[in-house]
Amino acid sequence: MDRPRGSDLIAGVRPWDEMYDEAGAVRSGREPLVEALAALGPDGLLARARLRDAHLSAQGITFTLSGRERPLPMDLVPRIVDAVEWQVIEAGVAQRIRALEMFLDDLYGAGQILDDQVIPRRLITSSAHFHREAHGVRPANGVRIHVAGVDLVRDEEGTFRVLEDNLRCPSGVSYVLENRRTLSHVVPEVFTGYRLRGVEEYPARLLAALLAAAPVGVADPTVVVLTPGVHNAAHFEHAFLARRMGVELVEGRDLFCRDGVVRMRTTRGSEPVHVIYRRIDDDYLDPVHFRPDSVLGVPGILNAARAGSVTIANGVGNGVADDKAVYPYVPAIVRYYLGEEPVLPNVTTYDLRDPDERAHVLPRLDQMVVKPVDGSGGYGIVVGSRASDAELAAAAAEIEADPRGWIAQPIVPLSTSPTLVEGGALAPRHLDLRPFAVNDGERVWVLPGGLTRVALTEGSLVVNSSQGGGSKDTWVLDSGDGEPLPPLEPELVVDDPGPTFSAAQGRGNGEGRARRDQPAVHSERMRQQEEQQQQGAPGAADPGSRRGVVPC
Amino acid sequence: MLSRIAEAMFWIGRYVERAEATTRLLVEHHQLLVEDTRLNPAVGAEALLGPLGIVPPEPDELAVLSPAGLVRVVVGDSADLSTILGSVAAARENARTIREALPGDMFERMNATHLRLQAGISTVIPGIPLRSLLDELAVVAGIIEWQMPRDEGLVFVRLGAALERLDMTCRLLDIDHDGLWPQAGAATTLRAAGGLNPFLRTQRALTGDQVEGFLVLDPTFPRSMLQSAMRAERAVRTMATYVSPQQTSTLLRTVGILRAELEFASVNPTPADLALLRERARDAAFVASDAVAAAFFRQAGTIVWSH
Repeated sequence: MDRPRGSDLIAGVRPWDEMYDEAGAVRSGREPLVEALAALGPDGLLARARLRDAHLSAQGITFTLSGRERPLPMDLVPRIVDAVEWQVIEAGVAQRIRALEMFLDDLYGAGQILDDQVIPRRLITSSAHFHREAHGVRPANGVRIHVAGVDLVRDEEGTFRVLEDNLRCPSGVSYVLENRRTLSHVVPEVFTGYRLRGVEEYPARLLAALLAAAPVGVADPTVVVLTPGVHNAAHFEHAFLARRMGVELVEGRDLFCRDGVVRMRTTRGSEPVHVIYRRIDDDYLDPVHFRPDSVLGVPGILNAARAGSVTIANGVGNGVADDKAVYPYVPAIVRYYLGEEPVLPNVTTYDLRDPDERAHVLPRLDQMVVKPVDGSGGYGIVVGSRASDAELAAAAAEIEADPRGWIAQPIVPLSTSPTLVEGGALAPRHLDLRPFAVNDGERVWVLPGGLTRVALTEGSLVVNSSQGGGSKDTWVLDSGDGEPLPPLEPELVVDDPGPTFSAAQGRGNGEGRARRDQPAVHSERMRQQEEQQQQGAPGAADPGSRRGVVPC
Repeated sequence: MLSRIAEAMFWIGRYVERAEATTRLLVEHHQLLVEDTRLNPAVGAEALLGPLGIVPPEPDELAVLSPAGLVRVVVGDSADLSTILGSVAAARENARTIREALPGDMFERMNATHLRLQAGISTVIPGIPLRSLLDELAVVAGIIEWQMPRDEGLVFVRLGAALERLDMTCRLLDIDHDGLWPQAGAATTLRAAGGLNPFLRTQRALTGDQVEGFLVLDPTFPRSMLQSAMRAERAVRTMATYVSPQQTSTLLRTVGILRAELEFASVNPTPADLALLRERARDAAFVASDAVAAAFFRQAGTIVWSH
């Protein structure tokens, strides 16, 4: 695989491929998939791609970009993660979330980690997402990160590294579930020969975690999903999660606070709400405390949370822990709270507030990725290898002006996987992986697989769906240690024939399970019906008929 | 109304319902087999075919039945009335015999559906043609509900549909998805009844026992046994206004007792209670079907004169 033209990669770096090893041979465990794709061929793949598009559109599995609903492009080639690789990811993600939970609890409490100078205090207090309003809000079961999405990339050595944490409103999990169903609907052949970990249990796990987070003393908590509304990019996902959890999807205007209790307006009057899985940003959540012009939020909701009558999930102020400027300190955070080495390494990141590091980075901007610390969706990212000199100069000026606002990372050659491209061919495209973790207070559960995002443009390293990225179904192979169930003994059930009214009556099929069917038409009656000549009917030869002959 | 027409109406109701329920079940069962390959395919196939009462053409074939092969067997042929093609063909044949008594283009719709199905469907991506079949059957159901005169004929269609639905829900629960596929089985049972979301809105734990309780006893879910029994009872009571009370007595007793047993069942039924109720429902569907035939469709036997 040569470096494609226009690539974001540094020359000479060869990314890891998920399907083929360096010699071009198929990696172990990928053979049945490669064979199934070869059997389909380019035309077969293109035909299936059309079916997929029709299916996604008809099902309304979309995200909204610039006001237009679009289906999230799902590639037909799944991404495979081995059972052993998955164990590492699972352990690493869970470890990170456990540590970040303790970190948040500390920051919004005693601040021990700051006193111990593991992290500079200025870094925290200068974070746009450190909300003093959240100080003293005690989550009922101690959980602030009910749901997390941790973005992983695989470097040229094949090592999974954490690129960023999403602890506010990580989105994309609905596509994980829908991708699996869509793939098995459209190309069932590729599943042959594989035993996969299922993804369907996610909504139940999320609901269990939200119920576990309910305020103390509520016997039968009411959980709702709070959406900004139908114009939000991820509205499909909000509706999906509400539906699959069997809870109400509410907008801010459906809720109100009275006497420190959040209630929702229903046809039977108002009903109390105990757990709010909110998918709107902190800034919009409560006009009393945050943006006063927010029309999406619920005035008084934060006071209700502080009073302990409602749980807001994810917690308010979580953004301080996924601030990109805090990210370089996460390994230290893991060591500090857990006394363990991080299972998943970070990507090297330069703290641009440090004059030495800044001096190292600025002349090498063409080999760096520069990201705004509080951005998301791939907006504002400058990929040095692709930027023009003018763009690099502009980036340098911005960094000089506001070093706290930016981080720089060496360009990581994201791993590639064969992806369906124009003409039905398969070509390598770069991808990342966002596993989702759910914390119910007892343990951190990681959904097997996660969302694989793929940069559909050749050579591009930007996988965000808002920047032309697609997704892949992600398969975690089952290690097979679960014993397969014993085969069923075929069971023959013959019902008691019971009363009959005619010997000709069909009682089912003799074998299998009896069923009531309509009595068969007596064959003699059928024969005689057929024999009757029908005047004028097509094919009926009736010499006596003059129909059609008499002029009218 | 002619007994012969009433009989055809009754069986149209049954076979349209059977085709719909079988198709929905096949779509979901197939998807489960594709995604969760932990189970021996033959077991997965037998788990569906047994309760549906379908005998594969070659008994040996079962051992190597792939998901695609299973689709072929369940789509089946016109001769086996338990298969999809069999029930569509039977519904269409009944519609043909009473074409003049049916509204609008009902026969034409069923005929077109039958022809398409007979021409064969792709078993490689069966989800697509099977879902369009569901759409077409929904159109037929729509014509019945929107266009049929509110007379005896409609009552026979509705009674047939209610009894078949009762029977199909029994069969769906006999498959034991939950026991065979502990991860996704319970959700598959619900999806096969179109009931995943209604279930989740009223219950929390998605376990096999909860699903069974829902499909047997839920008072609002349209495919629960209780709802089907209520619909059957309503149809019989309406019918009683057209005919003499003696004609409906056995029928009304059968569906009425079943409805009462389901409606007034224990609030927290044990698995044994549910098993008993399912057994009762199965028996009642059989007895009621026979009672309809005995009361309304009795025809002179075919008499063949001989020298």
